[in-house]
Order: sequence, then C-alpha cells, then structure tokens
Amino acid sequence: MTYALEIKDVSHWFGTNKVLNNLNLQIAHGQIVAVVGPSGCGKSTLLRAIFGTHPPKAGQILADNEPVTKPCRSVGIVYQHYTLYDFLTAKENVAFGLKLDQTNLPFRLFQFPKWRQLQRQHFAQSIEFLNRVGLSHAIDKYPHEMSGGMCQRVAIAQAMIMKPKILLLDEPFGALDESTRTDLQLLLLRFYQENLEAKRAGQTAPHTILIVTHELNEALYVSDRVVGLSQYHADGANGATIVYDRPSPIFHPDDPRDFDLFLSQREELRKVVFDPESKKRHEEFVTFWNEHADLQAIAMQKA
Amino acid sequence: MIRQPIQLRTRIVISVLSILAMFVAYEAIAMRQSRINPKQTVVPGITSLWDGIQKMTTPNRRGETWLVEDVKATYGRLFLGLGLGIGLSIIIGVAMGAYPWVEAFFVPAVSFFAKIPPTAMLAVYFVLFGTKTEMFVAMVGLSVFFTLAQSIYQVAKKDVSDHSVFKAYSLGATSPEVIYEVLWKQILPRVIESIRLQIGPAMVFLIAAEYVVGDVGIGYRIRIQSRILNMNVVYIYLVMLGGSGLLMDWSLTQLRRKLCPWFGE
Repeated sequence: MTYALEIKDVSHWFGTNKVLNNLNLQIAHGQIVAVVGPSGCGKSTLLRAIFGTHPPKAGQILADNEPVTKPCRSVGIVYQHYTLYDFLTAKENVAFGLKLDQTNLPFRLFQFPKWRQLQRQHFAQSIEFLNRVGLSHAIDKYPHEMSGGMCQRVAIAQAMIMKPKILLLDEPFGALDESTRTDLQLLLLRFYQENLEAKRAGQTAPHTILIVTHELNEALYVSDRVVGLSQYHADGANGATIVYDRPSPIFHPDDPRDFDLFLSQREELRKVVFDPESKKRHEEFVTFWNEHADLQAIAMQKA
Repeated sequence: MIRQPIQLRTRIVISVLSILAMFVAYEAIAMRQSRINPKQTVVPGITSLWDGIQKMTTPNRRGETWLVEDVKATYGRLFLGLGLGIGLSIIIGVAMGAYPWVEAFFVPAVSFFAKIPPTAMLAVYFVLFGTKTEMFVAMVGLSVFFTLAQSIYQVAKKDVSDHSVFKAYSLGATSPEVIYEVLWKQILPRVIESIRLQIGPAMVFLIAAEYVVGDVGIGYRIRIQSRILNMNVVYIYLVMLGGSGLLMDWSLTQLRRKLCPWFGE
C-alpha cells in the first residue's frame, strides 16, 4: 500500500536535548489527521521534518513513497500567520504556484504571448478555488486589504490548487476569531466530504491533510483521525513519541456542531497525551489501523 | 490637537504661502543689503539673478555655455556613478540576503567601508583613479554601493521570512525563481526608498569632490564664482540642485507607486 505520508523510525535531537523518539506513522490518501500534544512536545519539529526544512537526525520521511529531504511539491503548507505574498493579489497568490510549477523565467520572458494565454488559464483556476473557499468577492484584493480569516482562506486555496500529496496545516486557525474559525473548520469538513465522494467514484481522494492544533475540540471535530504526540510515556526521557492514534468521529458539514458527542474521547485524549503522570507504554492507545476498517464502513454509511 | 488632519486645499494654500514667504523674505533682505551697499553681490536682487542666468547661458569661446557644460559633467558623473553603485549593490545585497556564505564573505568589508565618510576617502580615490571623470564616478558609485548594499542586505534578510521562501519551494520554485519572484519583488519598494535616500548623499559627495578638484561641473563653478562673489550665479546653481533633487525624488516615488501598488504610502 502506498501512503500519502510515511514516517519511519524518526528521531530528532538538539545537542543533548532529545525531542522526537522513534516516531512511526502512516497516513493514507484522503485522511484528515489532527496532531495534538502538550507545549514543547516537538509538534513543530515534527512538522518541519515532514515539510523538509529540518530533516530528522534519524529515520526517514516519505511522501507518496518519495523521501522528503527539503521543501518540495509533494508537501504543501499553511502557516498560522498565512504567509501570503504581499505583492500579489488574492487571485495572483493562488495562481502563484501554478506559475512557478508550470513555467520558468525564460518562458515567461521570451514566449510572452503563450505565457499570457497560460496565465489566463491559471487565473481561471485560481478564481474557481477562491470561489470554493468563499472569496469570490476578494479576488483582486492584496493581503493587507483582507482580514486574517480571508488571508487564511487564500493561503488554503494557494496550497490546495497545487494538489500536494499531503497538506500540512500548522495551527492554521489559532489567530482567528471564533466565527471565522468555525467557517474554516466547516471548510475542512467539506474537503473530507469531497474525499468520500471521490472514493465512492473509485478515484483517489484529493485531500490528505495533517493539521497541528492545540485545540482538542477542533482536532476531534475536523479530523477523521487524532494523533497525540507526547513526552509523557514510559520512555519519555528520550523524547516525545506518538502515544495516541485513534479514529475520531466523522462530522458532516450540515451536522450540528456538538462537541459533547466526543466528550469521552476528549477526556481520554487529555489523560493519555497531556497528563504528566502518564507513564504508560506508548503503544497502548495507538490503535488506529486496527479500528480502520470499522471507521471506513461507518463513514461511507453516514455519507 | 497634534496630527489633526487638514484638507488638501488648505495644505496647498499653506505650501504656496510658504514659497511666497521665502521669495518675499529673500527680496526684502536683498533690498535692505542694496540700500546699505548698492554694489553688494552677496544677496543679489531679482534683476541681478537674471544677470546670473544670462552669464550661465552665454556661449563661451568653445561655443558651450557654463550651464550645459556643468550640467553635462555633473549629472553625467552622478548618473553613471549611481547606475554602477546601485547595480552592484542590488546584486551583492540580494545575494547577501539570500546566501549565508555570500553574507559571511561580504559583511565585514561592507560594514567597515560603509562607516568611512566617502569625502574622507577622496585622497584614496585621487590616488587610485586620478582626477578625471573615472574618479568622480568611482567615488559616487562606491559611496552609494557600501551603504546601499548594506541596506538591501538587511531588507532582504528581514523583510522576507523563511516561511515565504520555504513555501515558494513547496509551490515548485527553483532558487533563482525564489530570488526573483519572492525576494526581489518583496523588497523592491524598500530598495527604491533606499535609492531615494542615497541620491542626496551622492550629490553631496560629488559636489564636494568637484569643489576640490573639478575643472568643470557644478561644484567647480560654485567654487570659482563664489571666490569672486558672483553669488547671482551660485544661487541659481543651488536652486537647480534643489530642483533636480526634488525631481529625482518625485520620479522615484512615482516609480515605486507604479511598480508596487501594494506597498501603500
């Protein structure tokens, strides 16, 4: 089986400070995985390793079976603080990746008419993506003319248009107000529905997402799988590892947003991942793949 | 209240009044000086200034006027020096901001030479380049280069976050594309601003150098004419320098607005 992302025996340390301790994780195409963990447990280190800017000291990370050693087309990212290009409008920001990926500078300079024609197609695609994230009214706005929520939608569209094998969301809604946060959470649920529709049609699911968040309700609400990274386990002295990996409840965008539905799982997560007294063997709650078949059946039924 | 906004019309009226006040004050001082000494040339009146303009525009034995000769020499040196200095500082400054090994190589030299006043380096330029055009061009170019390269390097390093760069790679960019499409476009307005700030000092160094060793040029003419108290010529040259400085400043602001509409004011 080819995974969208495969993390094999990954460890990382800074000097004598051991941060990641023998991590193993496989994410299948179409999964939306939330990663949670206490502050300082190495979530950002793990994310940077997956993105390729800071490869791990030991072990290997594969995106669609290709080793990730530097930032590449297979892995997209949306940062907490948007990181849009200030000098491009929303439409240009979203089309920026298509331009970089499909053309080069000599082509744009010396085959200008062809480039203009291609650029029109890129803009058409870009506008379509902006419509999908609810920004059809802001296509010509610069980032400084948009709110934080609008910028984050543009950043999501910018990453999604490139169809990365896996999209990393680094606490993407952390700086947003409650209403915008809810809108964007619903956007992720819609992406998950698109995955289910693609699977039903016998196609590869288009969106594989790994979201890092410190908000447990959000993690359980938007994802179909929750992974807990923590230093609170039997071998915690050697760094954090995955201590929790279980399916999370599937929500449809039209379902009521009732966080009480996963109250018991939230408590379980809090106890296993966030409790400093937890000194269990780390495999005890790493049961996702055992429960996977059941999860799929439930999801298809619900959809 | 401080910073209370005023209407555009009020602003224009106040600006026009300030210019008029300058003229009136100048003319009043000139008239007063002329009453004390009718032959004085230190604060020449309007008529005397007109004589100065005529002196500047009367062809000499070579058929050239002072104005054309001096403007050609001074602005030729200025633009050539600025062109070389700006071009070089953009290449080196951007490279320093993009590649840590280029940064490590150039930072000591650039930081050190940027601290030496270019006029203090005049003697070195005389020895290295003589006293002809090459010397003036080298002086303007190098004086601009060290300061501008340092400022472009700082901007390239601080105004472009690592996240922007990494994201560009994840969108499929190559390193040259990251430099041109991300780094350069992001810092362009600040580069234009830095260039704008460099024009004044470049003019100062050039006029000072012409004043000391020039045989043609605005600095040279100011020295010769001020020695014989032909201030009606000197003042016209000063007005010209101020006007051209304002024009260059305005042109660069317009260029920044045109090329970087996202940057705001």
